[in-house]
Amino acid sequence: MRRLFLFLTIVFLLAPNPRADEFKFPLKSNSVRFAAIGDMGTGDGPQYEVSQRMVQSRESFPFDFVIMLGDNIYGSHDPQDFEKKFGIPYKPLLDAGVKFYAALGNHDDPVERMYKPFNMNGANYYTFKKGNVRFFALDSNYMDPKQLDWLEKQLRDAGTGEWKICYFHHPLYSSARKHGPATDLRVLLEPLFVKYGVNAVFAGHEHVYERIQPQKGIYYFTEGSSGQLREGGLDPSNITARGFDADRTFVLVEIAGDQLYFQTLSRSGNTVDSGMIQRQELSPSKK
Amino acid sequence: MKSLKHIVRLNHCVVLILLATGWGYASQEATPTSPSNADAAGIKEFSDRAQEFVKLHHSVEAKLPKLKTTDVPELIVAHEQALARKIREARPHAKRGDIFTPNATEAFRNAIQKALAGPEAPHAKATIKQGDPLAKVRLLVNRAYPKALPYTTVPPTLLLNLPKLPNELAYRVAGHDLVLLDVKANLVVDYIPIVIP
Repeated sequence: MRRLFLFLTIVFLLAPNPRADEFKFPLKSNSVRFAAIGDMGTGDGPQYEVSQRMVQSRESFPFDFVIMLGDNIYGSHDPQDFEKKFGIPYKPLLDAGVKFYAALGNHDDPVERMYKPFNMNGANYYTFKKGNVRFFALDSNYMDPKQLDWLEKQLRDAGTGEWKICYFHHPLYSSARKHGPATDLRVLLEPLFVKYGVNAVFAGHEHVYERIQPQKGIYYFTEGSSGQLREGGLDPSNITARGFDADRTFVLVEIAGDQLYFQTLSRSGNTVDSGMIQRQELSPSKK
Repeated sequence: MKSLKHIVRLNHCVVLILLATGWGYASQEATPTSPSNADAAGIKEFSDRAQEFVKLHHSVEAKLPKLKTTDVPELIVAHEQALARKIREARPHAKRGDIFTPNATEAFRNAIQKALAGPEAPHAKATIKQGDPLAKVRLLVNRAYPKALPYTTVPPTLLLNLPKLPNELAYRVAGHDLVLLDVKANLVVDYIPIVIP
């Protein structure tokens, strides 16, 4: 009986959300719209197919920029690799003026920070603001005291009253089989996220899609299947809110005021997850 | 009571040395362990030599055209390769132990051992395992870090217990070795073999 229950739970978590295809973004004026992709830079067919799907999605959901969750360029980093694994697959988006903001993964060469289309401005970690959202792109390969100091200062200076979204490569929470959560990183980052009111965190590394139940009030997404895929790589746990490991995916996000709307699409265009997150203000004791 | 005061005074000395050498980072959740005086001296030796290397790096880099962010990857790759070549030429006899001197190596071994035996040890060990461990990789001083190989995450709680580095340098874990990498030139500057469990 217990096994049957576990089996049904897993089937439920991995199955596409039947009502998700009805999901519609509010497309409010002045909202912040972006896509999130991770572990995509293979230069292989599936990466190109996902990018085509992103182009199609942009017709109904005109996002302005893309956050890259690492492993932007796999393998060699010869000049032609920048083209084959980034420039060519995303050319229609680049030509349309869509900006890309990269975080470094364990397969990335830090020279990528000098590549203008990645908008890293020569830094391994950086911050930028869009509307009422402050983004923090971190280098989780090398979370040294210098970066931690920088992050704390940036989070403190960002104050309250706007969204804070962090993204980096290694997930702090994960139910995937291959790597699992980066608990050492969590020991140092989570207290800062909680203290300064980070609302949502995006990561990659695991070649699956997973949304985690809020942890200490923070929403965690893993999107590591925008090029790579580890089929059956997810082992849903009690913290999994939704998981998908049967095809490549990418996430679309719209932030309008205090609401964050998200939709995760597969390469074939099916909605595998969607929903809305309400921004929580910091409790007075944490301010 | 007298000996307690002596210990407190000694601890203050150690703290001053640590501050002078830029060791560690204060965190409420994970705190660095304190090295002995001998280890602090080893770290000072390491820091001095690392600074010497950085001076050399700067002098070589100053002779190259300044690299700005660009959408031409050829320029980025060419600059990195030229920088690596010039640094290699400037230190043709570089060998293991030049920067991680025997004293420094001992201090690092102790620091790593302590960090990986402390309360955060299971997390740190999991981080190394969770990355893509380069178990059979042996890197060479003055050679490039192989581009096609992934980086193993250096456990953040371990980094808390190692001396801070200038921007040009970073620690890397390659298999069981701790590598000192020139990140702008992608060049192995030095390494300590078989120090990571």
